[in-house]
Amino acid sequence: MSSPKVQLRLNGIRKSFPGKEAATQVLDGLTFDIHERDFVSIIGPSGCGKTTVFNIIAGLVDPDDGVMLYRGQEVESLRGRVGYMMQKDLLFPWRTVLDNVLLGLETKGIDPKRALDTAREYLSTFGLSGFENAYPKALSGGMRQRVALIRTLVLDPDILLLDEPFSALDYQTRLYLEGILMEAVETFHKTVILVTHDIDEAVALSKRVVVLSQRPARVKAVHDIALNEHSPIAARSDPRFSGYFHTLCAELDIQTRKSA
Amino acid sequence: MTETAQIAKTAAPARPREKKRRNVFDSLIGRSALQILAVVGFFLLWEAAVRWGWLSAFLVGQPSGVLRNLIGSIANGSLFTDTGFTIFEAILGFAFGTVIGSVIGLALWYSIFVARLVEPFIAAINSVPKIALAPIIILWFGTGLLSKVALAISLTSIVALITAYQAAKDADKDLQALLFSMGASKQHIFKRVIAPSTLPAIIATFRINIGFALVGAVVGEFISSQHGLGHVIYVASSLYDLNTVWAGLFTLMLVGFLFYHLVEVTERWLLPWKQQQGGTQINV
Ligand SMILES: Nc1ncnc2c1ncn2[C@@H]1O[C@H](COP(=O)(O)OP(=O)(O)OP(=O)(O)O)[C@@H](O)[C@H]1O
Ligand SMILES: [Mg+2]
Repeated sequence: MSSPKVQLRLNGIRKSFPGKEAATQVLDGLTFDIHERDFVSIIGPSGCGKTTVFNIIAGLVDPDDGVMLYRGQEVESLRGRVGYMMQKDLLFPWRTVLDNVLLGLETKGIDPKRALDTAREYLSTFGLSGFENAYPKALSGGMRQRVALIRTLVLDPDILLLDEPFSALDYQTRLYLEGILMEAVETFHKTVILVTHDIDEAVALSKRVVVLSQRPARVKAVHDIALNEHSPIAARSDPRFSGYFHTLCAELDIQTRKSA
Repeated sequence: MTETAQIAKTAAPARPREKKRRNVFDSLIGRSALQILAVVGFFLLWEAAVRWGWLSAFLVGQPSGVLRNLIGSIANGSLFTDTGFTIFEAILGFAFGTVIGSVIGLALWYSIFVARLVEPFIAAINSVPKIALAPIIILWFGTGLLSKVALAISLTSIVALITAYQAAKDADKDLQALLFSMGASKQHIFKRVIAPSTLPAIIATFRINIGFALVGAVVGEFISSQHGLGHVIYVASSLYDLNTVWAGLFTLMLVGFLFYHLVEVTERWLLPWKQQQGGTQINV
């Protein structure tokens, strides 16, 4: 098997935030690769800087040091090219479901008629037809998350950054949305970086898992996950699933023991 | 104790599911009836008190006199002219003041530098009791329409400015970040996040500013004018004609009340995503 092509490379990314007394070092020379059509999960202790990594990739935060290479070219950030689904669903309360989905397309200046067709198509694919004109307030948590996911996907971004997209949902809804996500990723050939607290989810969905250390975060390990099954439910009953699960648990456990 | 618990247990499911018991008057008609009753009662009491000599008609006026006065001024048309003048001044003052203030307040969002520079000046201007400016404003703008509108603008614009600026500053940072990550420009963020999220606050200033605009118009009329409800009230009170004063005041009250409801309708129309809830109005 030929070595996969690197789509995004983070090299020696450092970031500290100024604090009251001393600055907090958050990222301490973070280095990892994302391949073309990769599905990478980033796991690590709470507060270690996972969201900060996403903010840097998306151009919301400037790193103190380090470089980012996109398909071999140095870039400042991937602003405008990523689909960033933040930890909160961040639906615009004054916009209907349809208008929320249209938000990114408007920003990109896509022809309104075409944008409307695309948005409607996605909504019906994700089982949300009939809710186009509802306001976010009237939706359940799972539906809100689905709308946020559609809003991210419909942009057709080069890379999806998903920051704990399903962590606030019940197990059943989460499995369902994981399935929807996997289908969409396969259909549209997307590259995904997923931040999650859920090792279970990381193993079931990803091709690779990046484990970050306690703050200041460095890459502790990168694991390739090779499961035969890729639907979220089937993957969880794959014979190799529990092996990966325990390896990753062990790695995070060491972290927590150290901090305790 | 066990006995009562038993009774409660058996009685509870047997009772048919009834709607939560509501007050007999807790309906639109019931409430209106109570409200009208209260108003009518108040005026009857007032009238009776004057007729029986408990209160002096000279000092407090008399409802029947007020009514006669109102009918008279409706018949000769002067009520409409005066009300028209005051409404016109207040509406112009309200519209210009609110628009000017909101636009400046929102514009300040664009430049943190300018905003920080002018913040103390805004605070200083805000702390001046604008009514104290009335004599100068009349000196500058004359005794006609313009001075009343200017006075109303001086009151309303600063409220709108401060509210709009604060609301723009408070707009959800995460929504802005989300758009920014999509590659949105500053104008785009303004249009998609700042403008819509400040709208509720700006509409809230409508309620306050309607009161302020009327204050501006009436105070302007007090100082110098030939028309308007403020003029009517001022002249009548200098002649100890309390009934005319009340007629003017009640008309002003009615005008404020109607404006207030106009704002509610506007709000419902502009903010369909907001649940309607009773607002509060500050009357100065
Ligand atoms: N804008 C900021 N200013 C100051 N400190 C910040 C800022 N953003 C993040 N931090 C700090 O950086 C550290 C990492 O934050 P980050 O949100 O990246 O963690 P995380 O790994 O996503 O945590 P969680 O798993 O709980 O979401 C935290 O200690 C946080 O307080
Ligand atoms: Mg986070």
